[in-house]
Amino acid sequence: MNEIMVIAARAADAPVPDAQTRELLGHGRALADAAGGVLSVIAWGPDAAALARACGAYGADRGYVCDGEQLAAPTTDMAVAVLRAAVAAGAPRLIMSAASFRMRDITAALAADLACGHIAGATDIRPDGDQLLVTRPSHGGNVINTVACAGLAVVAVRKQSFAEASPGAARAVALVTLDVPMTSRTRVIARRPRAGAVNLGDAAIVVSGGRGLGSPEHYHALIPRLAAAFGGAWGASRAIVDAGWVPYDHQVGQTGKTVTPKLYVACGISGAIQHLAGMRSSRVIVAINKDAAAPIFRVATYGIVGDVHEIIPLLIAELESRR
Amino acid sequence: MNLVVCLKQVPQQNNVRIGADHTIDAGGIEPIISLFDEYAIEEALVWAERIGANVTVVSIGDPSWSDSMRRALAMGATDALLIHDAACAELDTHATAQIAAAAIRRIGDVGLVFCGRNSTDDETGAFVPALARALGWAQATYVGAIQQLDATVAQLERHLEDEVEQLEVQLPAVLSVVKGINEPRYPSLVRIRRVARAVIPTLTLADLGMAPPVPATRVVQRVPPAARPASEILAGDAATQVRALVDRLRDAQVL
Repeated sequence: MNEIMVIAARAADAPVPDAQTRELLGHGRALADAAGGVLSVIAWGPDAAALARACGAYGADRGYVCDGEQLAAPTTDMAVAVLRAAVAAGAPRLIMSAASFRMRDITAALAADLACGHIAGATDIRPDGDQLLVTRPSHGGNVINTVACAGLAVVAVRKQSFAEASPGAARAVALVTLDVPMTSRTRVIARRPRAGAVNLGDAAIVVSGGRGLGSPEHYHALIPRLAAAFGGAWGASRAIVDAGWVPYDHQVGQTGKTVTPKLYVACGISGAIQHLAGMRSSRVIVAINKDAAAPIFRVATYGIVGDVHEIIPLLIAELESRR
Repeated sequence: MNLVVCLKQVPQQNNVRIGADHTIDAGGIEPIISLFDEYAIEEALVWAERIGANVTVVSIGDPSWSDSMRRALAMGATDALLIHDAACAELDTHATAQIAAAAIRRIGDVGLVFCGRNSTDDETGAFVPALARALGWAQATYVGAIQQLDATVAQLERHLEDEVEQLEVQLPAVLSVVKGINEPRYPSLVRIRRVARAVIPTLTLADLGMAPPVPATRVVQRVPPAARPASEILAGDAATQVRALVDRLRDAQVL
């Protein structure tokens, strides 16, 4: 476990590591300490050096940096070129990143170029003699795989897999500047925020509705209001997305989004396997459904057997009265 | 130009069993085309009709996958090619991509490969990047719209979690598509009948002139997820249940 590399992502408002980067730094530091190794970060973009230095407070010893405006959001070819330069300049045993769409794309391409192991959507990484053992759920969370990798492993890690590193005495981060020629077979014409994008993946509380709401009118009258009362985001089952009640961006489940909030509230959702796949790892699950035999109650922490049309308005009033 | 769709057959439901030797047992669960791959087939067919190309469906699986491949033919694909070899049983993404790359090179004159954003069983989304790099081609993942396609370049949109990236991609390239890019067609009865007895051309690794690729990772254990804590069904009338719920959520520090 000579050198562990973390691909750093910056917070939206400043060149400091974002929440998941702090998680990866915390776990990377522990792995490096156990093996007497080094923890490095790879940072790119206009504030690369500042970001790498800021990672020193969270345990980073070394920073591979590549700056430049065009790396603010690089194409796959550019990002892979930067990462390959970092790998060539160091001696990594493990490279960790977030498991966002963009990072799954980049890290899988990197691993292919290096002919090394790639594990996507991991929840744990631990050493086992000379190899690494990586935990990753598949089959909608119904199967927990342990994947062994003997050589270099590139791992895209799910959010909330590790405790965030707390800021400590800042280490002096030794910077290594990468000089990488930028060529790319793709060219970014424009970037824009997704209209009506719902970052369900980042929400601490998610309130979802399903067929039990009865109609799109009932869904829209109740679920967004309940979500607002909880201070959370609103989601939906596949059944009502496919029926056109709610846009696809809100779909939670195997063919929609996987969420792991601290609180998930399922209203009028029976709990099909496809839905459970997207939310069963939530910390606390509340189910409200009139059918006591609904499978959702098997994963619920707290259940209310009742009519959503009666329960939800009461719940909104109760939450608002306790503000 | 030829277009290729990489198709994976998966269990319709993910409530699979885990065998004693840590293998996946999907017996009794209906096999289907992985949902996102249906969108890949549809998108390839739409563009093949516009630019006058053939669509070949490629799978790495076993002969039981033939029904899914026939469904793709019934939707309108021109050809199908199945790679079946005992050495393909437990491959990682890297090794699978090597085989798919060899199959695609064999088809020849391929401009664009369409895949789903990820399979609904393994859920890695890593196959498309691995395939693109194995072929030495450009890649564009999570594609939600293709506006233009000609012999050398594609204009498309990547739909990431919270942003849309408008890209120009040099061909040849490998794409993965998301749900919502189109509405997959249902195969017509006439076409279903026409391909019902179609024999899917099948090749081994030796036919492709390659040795079994060496996986970089291997799955050493598969277990079911840890059981969730027992549920508490709240008692009383609706108002009592709601008050009890909010009390418990406060105690659990999730509010």
